[in-house]
Amino acid sequence: MTRAILACTGLDKPEGSVAREVAVAGAEAAGLEIVCPVLLHRAPARYKKILEQGALTVVDGCSTRCATRLAAQVGATVERKILVSDAAKRSGQPLEASLRLGPVGLALARSLVGDLLSAPPQAAPAAESGAEFEPPTEFLVVTYDKFEFRIPAVDYAFNENDVWARAVGGVARVGISDFLQQRLTDVSYFDPPPVGAVVEQFGEMGTLESTKAVFEIVAPVSGTVVAVNEAVRANPGILNEDPYGAGWLLEVTLTHPQQDLELLLDPAAYAESVNRRAAEA
Amino acid sequence: MPDPTFMGVPRERISWFPTIDYGKCNFCMECDRFCPHQVFERREGDPRLVVANPVHCVVFCRACAKACGPDAISFPDKAETIAQIKQVRAEGGGR
Repeated sequence: MTRAILACTGLDKPEGSVAREVAVAGAEAAGLEIVCPVLLHRAPARYKKILEQGALTVVDGCSTRCATRLAAQVGATVERKILVSDAAKRSGQPLEASLRLGPVGLALARSLVGDLLSAPPQAAPAAESGAEFEPPTEFLVVTYDKFEFRIPAVDYAFNENDVWARAVGGVARVGISDFLQQRLTDVSYFDPPPVGAVVEQFGEMGTLESTKAVFEIVAPVSGTVVAVNEAVRANPGILNEDPYGAGWLLEVTLTHPQQDLELLLDPAAYAESVNRRAAEA
Repeated sequence: MPDPTFMGVPRERISWFPTIDYGKCNFCMECDRFCPHQVFERREGDPRLVVANPVHCVVFCRACAKACGPDAISFPDKAETIAQIKQVRAEGGGR
């Protein structure tokens, strides 16, 4: 498989200079092939082999995520992503205002390339909890216009941000509803929290990206992440095909399930909520 | 518009909506193009976007801020908002 790097190279922001440096240094140090965003936009055929068989590391300078959107537009497989503005915030060192790369920008680029070299693009599949999760068989169906939104009739609980939890023993699987997957359209990237992360109910549990939006996964339950669905990471399309079964996102050992449940909706109440919101654009 | 209540609490009692820092905003309108809930409004003759319908904003959604290149959009602290919702529920102010 050809591994390549697509960076935003935005010329109007210092983050763009850092993104470009990450691409150049990443190519040198990790042997990644550079994909020029302008040429990719103008003549995608030039990168046919990479687009059909390869995998991209995408480097966005800022949250406009031009490189991510471009990758989605041409249907590329994204195996890894870097957002320079976020990394700069996390480092606590504000970038120089100049469009030329300064010492702070260069140090940030070096550290991001170091991360690229040390972290494999696909983590080894985390062990699943071993709990048995049967796929749902009965559904409530909300219809609006030509759309149909399915909701499992039993066993699933929902928060009002369209994230479900299904508990078996002390473990819950978490995923997004059919309604949300249809709203997001094609999900192109799943960025999960690391295994071992402790999450509070309604805290952030990773993100999903589509060409439309970056969706923050709002935790329906509190607990510790024990497994990530690597199949969805490798092929986010599963999420659109089977959001309640094979498209689960995370497994979590529950901290206080009874207390969390009081703040969640049962399937019938969630169906009412979808019904009220379905008419929105 | 979105649900009139959130977790059983009337939406207008939850202070969750975006704030735009006009010192950073570059008027690209990416947030307005994204948001399907008409939280933002453009006013004729003014390049600035305004947060016209704060109660339309979906509680805990921060997608517009995540789409903002110049990082000009901020939201309240999530933990404080959760505490606020729980307090209204405990006072019997939920529906």
